[in-house]
Amino acid sequence: MRVRIWGTRGSYPVAHANMLRYGGNTTCVEVEVEGHRIILDAGTGLRLLGEALQRNQESFRHLDLLITHTHWDHIMGFPFFAPLFDPELRLDIYGLARTQSSLRTTLVGALSDPLLPLTMDDLRAQISFFEIGAGHCFDLGPVRVRTALANHPYRALAYRLEAQDGVLTFIPDTGPFHTVLFGDERIEWTGQPTARSQSDLRKLALMKEAILELAHNSDWLIYDAQFTDAQYARFPHWGHSSASQAREIAEEAQVRQLILFHHDPHRTDDELDQIVMEQQALARPGLLVTAAFEGMELQRQP
Amino acid sequence: MKVRFWGVRGYVPTPNAAMLRYGGNTCCTAVTGAHGELVVLDTGTGFCMLGDELMQGEFGRGRGSLTLLISHTYWDHILGLPFPGVVHIPGNRLDIYGPDSTRGSLQMVYDGMLSPVYSPVYGLAHIGATHRFTTISTEPFTLGRLTVRALPLSRHHNSPIWAYRVEEDGRALVYITDVRYNEAGIRDKAIAFSRHANVLIHSAPYLREEQVEDYGHSRIEDAIEVALLAEVERLLIFHHAPTRTDDELDAIIARFRAWLVAQGSSLQLLAAAEGVELTV
Repeated sequence: MRVRIWGTRGSYPVAHANMLRYGGNTTCVEVEVEGHRIILDAGTGLRLLGEALQRNQESFRHLDLLITHTHWDHIMGFPFFAPLFDPELRLDIYGLARTQSSLRTTLVGALSDPLLPLTMDDLRAQISFFEIGAGHCFDLGPVRVRTALANHPYRALAYRLEAQDGVLTFIPDTGPFHTVLFGDERIEWTGQPTARSQSDLRKLALMKEAILELAHNSDWLIYDAQFTDAQYARFPHWGHSSASQAREIAEEAQVRQLILFHHDPHRTDDELDQIVMEQQALARPGLLVTAAFEGMELQRQP
Repeated sequence: MKVRFWGVRGYVPTPNAAMLRYGGNTCCTAVTGAHGELVVLDTGTGFCMLGDELMQGEFGRGRGSLTLLISHTYWDHILGLPFPGVVHIPGNRLDIYGPDSTRGSLQMVYDGMLSPVYSPVYGLAHIGATHRFTTISTEPFTLGRLTVRALPLSRHHNSPIWAYRVEEDGRALVYITDVRYNEAGIRDKAIAFSRHANVLIHSAPYLREEQVEDYGHSRIEDAIEVALLAEVERLLIFHHAPTRTDDELDAIIARFRAWLVAQGSSLQLLAAAEGVELTV
């Protein structure tokens, strides 16, 4: 398994001199196992991946795209992914099943008039949509995929990708599991925990348990670290975690490397350097703390 | 009247070291009147940076007011709106002007963009600032001492694309984006609308010689022709292609400046760059 990170930023892409080292493109990760390619999320990093695939003229005929959820920062690169216009490509897109809107309607609606001038017919690739839920397990070529639910507004999926030579868990957007329970409804933050009933607390505990199980013993955990602890205290209703919350999950799940991800659009490179140092100093022995940067590659050492 | 560019890139933001001088954030241009009127042309991701700046002043205290003039509702012209803190502070006021499309009113398009499937804002109703949508028309209107004129220049599929002209004390700025001069009359309308403008801001991501799908734009040569025929003072091209590096853009501008000099033209040609402020 070879992992390459193409987009690291959360909320919206930023082109800023102080943020170029970690990168300003939004969430997109490429995973390659024995020539089989899986893409996680379609943020603006996806455009760069598309350019690289075309530049290398690799004979890829089939790509799988796993989408955690369809907030703008996770789909903003989709119509700019050049292989979409290649009739030779088979593209299978996986995302969360919802009663309110199909995955296809959501994605095609975003790039259709009056938001963009495209239609499904313009996308020449052979595209199929697969709607999945939490707790699913399926194989994509040599990769076993498992899903769980993250704690995020309007719900989002988390993915575990497991191959012979590596395990990656991808949880780009999630709040912690003690205060706010997210679902389909908007949370009006009143300064009080929303999960006060025993049943809500139980749901949060189960969600956390499933997330820990998903991430358990991963080589790499790519995890939401949008916030500092101070920011989390102000914005717990946004559905994001702080770097220390990410570290605690990584420790509990006994992963080997934590990759802080979904960087706040105001977080500078120097601040991220500092955050990594702080969290590494706090981490239990055996846990490597890093922050995702554009171009980062992950591979198990032989 | 001053104009400042907050986002000049077209289509998609490009955080790239080779594109930082001109900038990688998408379309957003701010016009400030001599008496403090604030007019923002389009809200691509550049609007997020403008919002951060506004936060330092009246907007940070919930006492700011701005007018948005939206050319059309493609991603690179609207997606920056919901992110800056200033739009979530009660007391701030957003007056949003733009076209309806056959798929729905301007307000419906914004509401859809903010629906929970796409945005954690969960719809327009949860934007904290007071906001008012007005369907743009060709009837001129005033904002403080600024006069705004608008013109539906063309249509891409079902989306009408509007151009704006902002005037103050006999000085004029014109903003034209996403227009292809492929039908008789469109270019003439653009020329008449831009007539004697001091500043013409015109989208022009590519050159005529470049064989690319541009999704309904005119080329750099077209923008120059319109500027020359309308006898404008300064032409700023923007909506730069996502693959265009700073050095390439420098070379393109140098080439056309040399051509303009050879023609004996006094038109000043620039490529719009993030952070640059000009007096109109």
